[in-house]
Amino acid sequence: MTTIIPFGPQHPVLPEPVQLKLEIDNDVVVGALPSLGYVHRGLEKFINTKDYNQTTYICERICGICSALHGITYTRAVEKLFNVEVPERGQYLRVITGELNRIHSHLLWLGLFADGFGFESLFYECWKYREAVLDVLERTTGNRVIHSMSKVGGASKDFTDEHINLLLKTLDTLEPQVKDLERVFVNNYTVKKRLVGLATMSKQLAYEAGTAGPTLRGSGNSIDLRDSSDWDIYKDLGFKPAVEKDGDCYARTKVRITELYDSIKLIRNAISKMPKGEIATPIKGFPTGEAIMRTEQPRGEVVYYVKGNGTKNLERLKIRTPTFANIPSLLLTLPGIKLADVPLVVLTIDPCISCTER
Amino acid sequence: MLENEVEIKNSAELLKTVEGLKNDGYRYATMICLKANDGHDLIYIFDKDYKLKNLRYFVKPGEKPKSVSGIYLCALLIENEYQDLFGLTFEGLAIDYKGHLYLTPNSPKAPLA
Repeated sequence: MTTIIPFGPQHPVLPEPVQLKLEIDNDVVVGALPSLGYVHRGLEKFINTKDYNQTTYICERICGICSALHGITYTRAVEKLFNVEVPERGQYLRVITGELNRIHSHLLWLGLFADGFGFESLFYECWKYREAVLDVLERTTGNRVIHSMSKVGGASKDFTDEHINLLLKTLDTLEPQVKDLERVFVNNYTVKKRLVGLATMSKQLAYEAGTAGPTLRGSGNSIDLRDSSDWDIYKDLGFKPAVEKDGDCYARTKVRITELYDSIKLIRNAISKMPKGEIATPIKGFPTGEAIMRTEQPRGEVVYYVKGNGTKNLERLKIRTPTFANIPSLLLTLPGIKLADVPLVVLTIDPCISCTER
Repeated sequence: MLENEVEIKNSAELLKTVEGLKNDGYRYATMICLKANDGHDLIYIFDKDYKLKNLRYFVKPGEKPKSVSGIYLCALLIENEYQDLFGLTFEGLAIDYKGHLYLTPNSPKAPLA
């Protein structure tokens, strides 16, 4: 006989409310049903009252962790409607802010994950290192969480030489700290014992399940939008996607650790190649037509669809966030898992409910 | 009109095309719903090698579009979202929240419709 156990909406490993109704036979999951809507904000409706520039600020507030990349993706989508080219320096500034976003997001996730398997002190370490990234974002953009670095046409703020020196110094300190974290997350006996072979998704299953980001790449799929021709600048920075083949919780963790190093390298490369000059192109008129823009956020691919009708307001804005793409995979990975392992499996998709409940 | 867009005439053609895309190795990205001429436009978005393929299907007023969640399970959340927000009814949904994925019985009905 099976029992239904509600996992969430309030649960120690869930910083935000979402529920999984778990069907349990003894202590093994045999079925899972996600339940959403606890904090749905209706932002796609709300933008009807805002003009296309104000909508940038709404998009940045979808999520406090990947705020910069929401703003960047939205503004790139609207720029596609205007068919404008952003000055190179503006593009580099976006890349640097986006990668800083990825670093602090992954450090936040590593901390939550450590807490999930009972390493309280490791949680504190991860979040302590993350603070330095938030500090540098505050010094360079003026804000710790909502950076407002991107506007339609380019970047809204420039970095001074002092900012760049501070940024490089922070990265120099951060890199060995990430190495310390890697030693625990990748080599620790207890961590491996809990993660290796847990909730394995084959390459094909992860692909067909429509997963995104480290969830997709942890199963051997080399798919990362930074590697696409959509955003050429990443090719110039020598970007290669981080991929692991095993498809389990351990592989998804390793992808995120590798991406921390990759982001540090990308920022250094971007700083060394960033040209002087304008940071934005002036925009005139109102947007017309339809466009789709995708960007690789820390949790995976985000899809923005915008439709303009020649007025100051967009006719439609649709956002498909990576967690929205990753939640259905839980229906496939949770059955067969012990109840005690459910928090770890759920955490390895790095669920962001704020994004999901736009 | 989006780049690489194909117009779909009826639900049988839709299911056949989506099945074909899956066999050709396309990944389901998402679906867009728009109000159009008293009905709705559904734009199904698929990805392969970073190239998008878009299917546009016009849903007539009162028509119940067929769910593609039997082909791509991951489509179930977005189809349920549009049942909530646009008041559409998808036939054959793998899991049907019956208009209550986000909305409670006291919420406004079909707020984006």
